Amino acid sequence: MGLQGKKWTVAPQDQNPSRRPKKGLNKKKMVKRKKQKRNMEELKKEVVMDDHKLTLEELSTKYSVDLTKGHSHQMAREILTRNGPNTLTPPPTTPEWVKFCKQLFGGFSLLLWTGAILCFVAYSIQIYFNEEPAKDNLYLSIVLSVVVIITGCFSYYQEAKSSRIMESFKNMVPQQALVIREGEKMQINVQEVVLGDLVEIKGGDRVPADLRLISAQGCKVDNSSLTGESEPQTRSPDFTHENPLETRNICFFSTNCVEGTARGIVIATGDSTVMGRIASLTSGLAVGQTPIAAEIQHFIHLITMVAVFLGVTFFVLSLLLGYGWLEAIIFLIGIIVANVPEGLLATVTVCLTLTAKRMARKNCLVKNLEAVETLGSTSTICSDKTGTLTQNRMTVAHMWFDMTVYEADTTEEQTGKTFAKSSDTWFILAQIAGLCNRADFKANQEILPIAQRATTGDASESALLKFVEQSYSSVAEMREKNPKVAEIPFNSTNKYQMSIHLREDSSQTHVLMMKGAPERILEFCSTFLLNGQEYPMNDEMKEAFQKAYLELGGLGERVLGFCFLNLPSSFSKGFPFNTDEINFPMDNLCFVGLISMIDPPRAAVPDAVSKCRSAGIKVIMVTGDHPITAKAIAKGVGIISEGTEMAEEVAARLKIPISKVDASAAKAIVVHGTELKDLQSQQLDQILQNHTEIVFARTSPQQKLIIVEGCQRLGAIVAVTGDGVNDSPALKKADIGIAMGISGSDVSKQAADMILLDDNFASIVTGVEEGRLIFDNLKKSIMYTLTSNIPEITPFLMFIILGIPLPLGTITILCIDLGTDMVPAISLAYESAESDIMKRLPRNPKTDNLVNHRLIGVAYGQIGMIQALAGFFTYFVILAENGFRPVDLLGIRLYWEDKYLNDLEDSYGQQWTYEQRKVVEFTCQTAFFVTIVVVQWADLIISKTRRNSAFQQGMRNKVLIFGILEETLLAAFLSYTPGMDVALRMYPLKITWWLCAIPYSILIFIYDEIRKLLIRQHPGGWVERETYY
Amino acid sequence: MCWNFKALILNQSMNGGSCFNLEIPEERRDHGMGLILLFYLVFYGFLAALFSFTMWVMLQTLNDEVPKYRDQIPSPGLMVFPKPVTALEYTFSRSDPTSYAGYIEDLKKFLKPYTLEEQKNLTVCPDGALFEQKGPVYVACQFPISLLQACSGMNDPDFGYSQGNPCILVKMNRIIGLKPEGVPRIDCVLKNEDIPNVAVYPHNGMIDLKYFPYYGKKLHVGYLQPLVAVQVSFAPNNTGKEVTVECKIDGSANLKSQDDRDKFLGRVTFKITARA
Repeated sequence: MGLQGKKWTVAPQDQNPSRRPKKGLNKKKMVKRKKQKRNMEELKKEVVMDDHKLTLEELSTKYSVDLTKGHSHQMAREILTRNGPNTLTPPPTTPEWVKFCKQLFGGFSLLLWTGAILCFVAYSIQIYFNEEPAKDNLYLSIVLSVVVIITGCFSYYQEAKSSRIMESFKNMVPQQALVIREGEKMQINVQEVVLGDLVEIKGGDRVPADLRLISAQGCKVDNSSLTGESEPQTRSPDFTHENPLETRNICFFSTNCVEGTARGIVIATGDSTVMGRIASLTSGLAVGQTPIAAEIQHFIHLITMVAVFLGVTFFVLSLLLGYGWLEAIIFLIGIIVANVPEGLLATVTVCLTLTAKRMARKNCLVKNLEAVETLGSTSTICSDKTGTLTQNRMTVAHMWFDMTVYEADTTEEQTGKTFAKSSDTWFILAQIAGLCNRADFKANQEILPIAQRATTGDASESALLKFVEQSYSSVAEMREKNPKVAEIPFNSTNKYQMSIHLREDSSQTHVLMMKGAPERILEFCSTFLLNGQEYPMNDEMKEAFQKAYLELGGLGERVLGFCFLNLPSSFSKGFPFNTDEINFPMDNLCFVGLISMIDPPRAAVPDAVSKCRSAGIKVIMVTGDHPITAKAIAKGVGIISEGTEMAEEVAARLKIPISKVDASAAKAIVVHGTELKDLQSQQLDQILQNHTEIVFARTSPQQKLIIVEGCQRLGAIVAVTGDGVNDSPALKKADIGIAMGISGSDVSKQAADMILLDDNFASIVTGVEEGRLIFDNLKKSIMYTLTSNIPEITPFLMFIILGIPLPLGTITILCIDLGTDMVPAISLAYESAESDIMKRLPRNPKTDNLVNHRLIGVAYGQIGMIQALAGFFTYFVILAENGFRPVDLLGIRLYWEDKYLNDLEDSYGQQWTYEQRKVVEFTCQTAFFVTIVVVQWADLIISKTRRNSAFQQGMRNKVLIFGILEETLLAAFLSYTPGMDVALRMYPLKITWWLCAIPYSILIFIYDEIRKLLIRQHPGGWVERETYY
Repeated sequence: MCWNFKALILNQSMNGGSCFNLEIPEERRDHGMGLILLFYLVFYGFLAALFSFTMWVMLQTLNDEVPKYRDQIPSPGLMVFPKPVTALEYTFSRSDPTSYAGYIEDLKKFLKPYTLEEQKNLTVCPDGALFEQKGPVYVACQFPISLLQACSGMNDPDFGYSQGNPCILVKMNRIIGLKPEGVPRIDCVLKNEDIPNVAVYPHNGMIDLKYFPYYGKKLHVGYLQPLVAVQVSFAPNNTGKEVTVECKIDGSANLKSQDDRDKFLGRVTFKITARA
């Protein structure tokens, strides 16, 4: 598995101090790097363009195109060959074999490869100087290579499987565009659209390139994938804003046209479009090491240090004891290799895979195995608003009529409260909302709940439609009874929408209904409705209106006003209403009320946010939406918690100017994108440090990236959620990018490490929980696996210094590492948490390591030592019972290993042939192996917990019980199966030899229970400081 | 960096954002290290004591005279004397006494306990039958070295090496309580059986049953293993000749001499090269 993290090109802007610049790059590379740096810096800047400011004439000149006829075919062809096709350069894909090699040679695998090579070197040395060497080193070298290759294949297969799921997301349908060339409309492939082309778009189209509009009819575009704004934006030929992203006369490549039609000139194609720049920025970003990869690296350092220390110590010692140089070198290699935990790579891979599967079942699809743990280490989540925190569906939230604010039900399941439905005003309000409304349900959706039905028309109108359908009556019926006879559609200049309907009763008269911006609506009205009665408009009413309007607007909601007028009977049925030259009264209307709408938060989000809070994770909202809306949602979901004040509020309370407010007094802050643009990175750091509750609004993709980098600069491990293209640079830069499975764009899914299949922020909490659990459990797994390293190494060390027959051979070591220890180590991944892992702080990546010196201390220095003693005890028992007393064994090695010495005398005067004593030796090794299995029972049980007693934790982990049984049966199988003496040189044991280790097993259990008792009873005490891993 | 992180944590209004303090005061570090060393001293002391205790208990269960299990050596191996430095290959030249001086030295040393003076306290046992004893005192039987005839070293202090007829002694490993069945003898053959002759002493390579069973080092003081000598005769003109001799136990059902893996179980093969 590629535990080395994603090794992309190191981008120069990377501030991560752990990355040292590589020395010795040649000049060419340096130049390339510089160039890349400049490009990246450029991409990070805001979009600069001036096409939106140009007049149509200037535009025509700039692109040398006729604004009515478009390019000539000739011209278009020329530009196409010059600029290339209008497509995004796909991100450089890693070839499959490179991916496979990364799995084979990354991180942990490297350690095993080193071991394999060392073994091979040792074997070669032996072969060179001794014609008939023991083949142990050769076998070990082969086994190590096989382990790495198998594990590499396994993790490659796992990742390939998740990337196949990714592939299925891809939308392969080729897009068409309508261009005008030589005055003719023609459908061409989007790739063939060129700069300066005259393009026509209509509702439902995907914008084929960046366009400067020259004419538009009711055109609205959905820019959400680019800016994160949830509502469709009106598009017109007018220049309305300096910022090209905000001005109305630009449409962006790959956004969607929702309704209306428009005609525009292509001002950028392919990679030079705004979208293309973001895509290039994303694929050019460097990605840091995943936290778990860093942890594994740290672990390898520790293990290597221990191995080299032991190796060198015993190298010197063996030279002092009079061994030859060659032998000493073989010993050195042997000791170093013995420290390599052969099975751990596979164990870690399987543990991570198991968690990845568990997370996938809970709707978190992890693309990269290592990312499984990253969420657990996360200390900051930068969440997008639309779609992740909210339902991505405009919904009526409040109404104001009869001088009262009523709350509508915004929950996903419509289980909320009801309101005064009996008021006459409500009937009229509902009628206007239903009739003066161009939205409609799409056909054949009767079975679906109203809230989930698809509609035509813009978000607000759809919201009203659904609301009326839900809380009043069928809109279709209403419209049938009150046919529309005339209509003025909404536009941005008049800011209202008016329609005239035939009345339901038999009076044959008409009613004029109007809705629109509240202040515009109020201007039309001279009366107002209160409990169904009309009253003349007065100041009191106007004040109440203002108050309600401000209140609802302050909630970040979009407010619409509603009014009507019963037309006099002179406008009876058949009257030709003319909306261009208005031939009917449109003043002195009667004001009915206000309805406000919002994209409401998802139901599970507030709970999830508070869980993150209590888990010590800072949740930052980063959205392209407006500050007021963002703040309202932030308050709604608890990102800005109740009672937390912002600087403005502190200022208002203390009645001092905002500039005088103490920065530390305001815990919450809403930062506007335009402010962010002018901030130095130190100032951004200040903001991130001084505020616990932060909302960034109106942010551009580049700014999202800067925010993520800021958090990372402060040492946080950052998770970013997002669905739009605008989020992808941040997703890529984040320690873990989380894309949305349903609403997410392909680009964002490509850039992310994880995909929320249900788009629900709450799933992240599951991910955090699983990530933290696997981190804890990996610690336990490693603790368990490392412990047996000591009883595996000490026999060799004693063989060297005491000159005793080898108590444990290579084959038996492999049987432990790759056989009996595997299932129990993996079973620890199923262990349940010791305490509420969501109630503690995220781990500090600098101090809270996966493997620290305390773990090594406990595993090697304490438990491992007891295990080694158990092994030696069994070993001495067997030899003594067969005639070789411990004292006589010291220094016997040279004689024992002499193949031609076939009358070696034991303590009783009996004489042994070489083969006879070897059989005893191998029986001892088998017994040593069995002893390790027996003491590993105890080790497994104590590894279940790090703080709690095993009694508190219980034995509910069935996989673990299976693990104990499995390792025992495997050990018995290896020992007693006929033929094993030939195959693996393992011999049957007498039952009593199994029992030798039992006292030591009990000792391990008691010792560790006492240790954990001390840890629990003296928090922060010496025992905890020195042994709590 | 460190403090920034701490500030971040603290600002999250949560306590316990531990920031690893690199500058541990000198005293505290010494104190900490000392405590760890003390802990490991006590801990390992305790483990050593426990280990010694279990070992002591185990040793108490052992019998001083007979090992608990003898199933690992059911059948004896064969071994030759003198023992060459490497492998079982003898090289000598009859004209060069230094080439076989080592062998002779070895043989003399080995036969020292078999001299008449050394054997005079030993018992003369009845031939041809197992000599089972009930204790508490166990006696050892005499092995008259004259049985080895030409290889006894009594008449020829060079053990035949100077004549080109080297003597090699073959002995059977001691195993406590082993009672051979039948009439055990050691049979030696030449692999390339052409010219040189091979002779075994005592006659036919007989091993008398009276030397069995063996009662162990502690009880059976002065025990002498029965020996069989093999003498290979190289013809004087046959210089540079290399012969391979294979000896194995024969005539006893419970003494194995065929094992795929153990080439010394009841048999021994060695090579003699006589140079000019």
